[in-house]
Amino acid sequence: MHDRVDSDEALIARTARGDREAFAQLFGVYAGKVKGYLVRLGAPPAAAEDLMQDAMVSIWRRAASFDATKAKASTWIFVIARNAWIDKLRRERTELAYRQTVLVSEESEDEAPDEAAMRGQTEDQVAAALATLSEEQRQVVQLSFFEDRPHSEIAAHLSLPLGTVKSRLRLALIKLRAHWEQLK
Amino acid sequence: MSPRHHPSDDILTGYAAGALEPGFGLVVGAHLDVCAHCRSRVGAFEAASGDALSDLAEADVSANALTNVMSRLGDQAPRTSTDTRPFIERLSLKKKRWVAPGVWVAGVDTPHAPENRVYLLSVAAGGLTARHEHAGAEFCTVLKGAYRDELGLFAAGDFAAADGDLNHQPVVEGDEACVCLFATEGRLRPQGLLGRLAFAYANV
Repeated sequence: MHDRVDSDEALIARTARGDREAFAQLFGVYAGKVKGYLVRLGAPPAAAEDLMQDAMVSIWRRAASFDATKAKASTWIFVIARNAWIDKLRRERTELAYRQTVLVSEESEDEAPDEAAMRGQTEDQVAAALATLSEEQRQVVQLSFFEDRPHSEIAAHLSLPLGTVKSRLRLALIKLRAHWEQLK
Repeated sequence: MSPRHHPSDDILTGYAAGALEPGFGLVVGAHLDVCAHCRSRVGAFEAASGDALSDLAEADVSANALTNVMSRLGDQAPRTSTDTRPFIERLSLKKKRWVAPGVWVAGVDTPHAPENRVYLLSVAAGGLTARHEHAGAEFCTVLKGAYRDELGLFAAGDFAAADGDLNHQPVVEGDEACVCLFATEGRLRPQGLLGRLAFAYANV
């Protein structure tokens, strides 16, 4: 008998008391909407999936701080999702810089000869940069940037904890960044 | 004293929606830090965004999303602490560069698109900044001191947005250095040697 009788506010209050079933109901109501919002902000689908999952975990962790007299459930959840997006932009500056370099090599239609030369150079640079990584690092970079898989899926694919995937990726990006700096 | 120059509702809705570039959001944040009026506006826009979220079409989530998330619920939350220092001390600054007597610039270490610049500019009392035009949008919040330009007096907490059409020459007012936080889209087009020097040297 799990008819949806509780309001979203009541579900958050139950979540704050550690009620996983209430949390799963909240997830059912909001996960798709939060992901839809992140896609609207410009997150690629894989990143939107990861961020949505992070935001849902934050909802669980912060449920006790929800105050129904100050905000509606939808407002509170919106703010958590928005902040997850802003934090991502803040954290992943290196990743963005790296992606922009890779993007150059993806524009291939109707290119002028000198653009083709530049493209080759960029590809060589990417290859040279990737060569500075360990095998483990190269693997997560490959899956995340070239195949655009969500971090959660990479973790499942490699049978690694999510945290390990994230820290491996971070270290790889720091190394790549140091490599780019040399080129400037 | 509460600020007298505020961001427009367009800017505040963009901020509430998470749609501003991070550097520009930071400058709005500096204003919100000291402006209860705009904080409550942002609160209202967040509530509207929450309602919009409720009505938003759902994106498909991955088949194992719920399982994934449920398996992470037992994880230790990362430790977070609220930083209660004043806004100006919370900024992570790059090296401060003196670019002229009484004038320094320091880039702010915040993510922003490469074509945008986020920096602090400090001009000593009585100082004149370079007359300049804007290649794109610019947001500014005064953190300390005050300046005056064609648009009026801007004191600590005041917010100013300029677009591509503004050509102005701010002058520091009062006997204290004026420190402002800027986010600028595109490069400034400074007129005169001081401006060119300042912006080229500081790479802002």
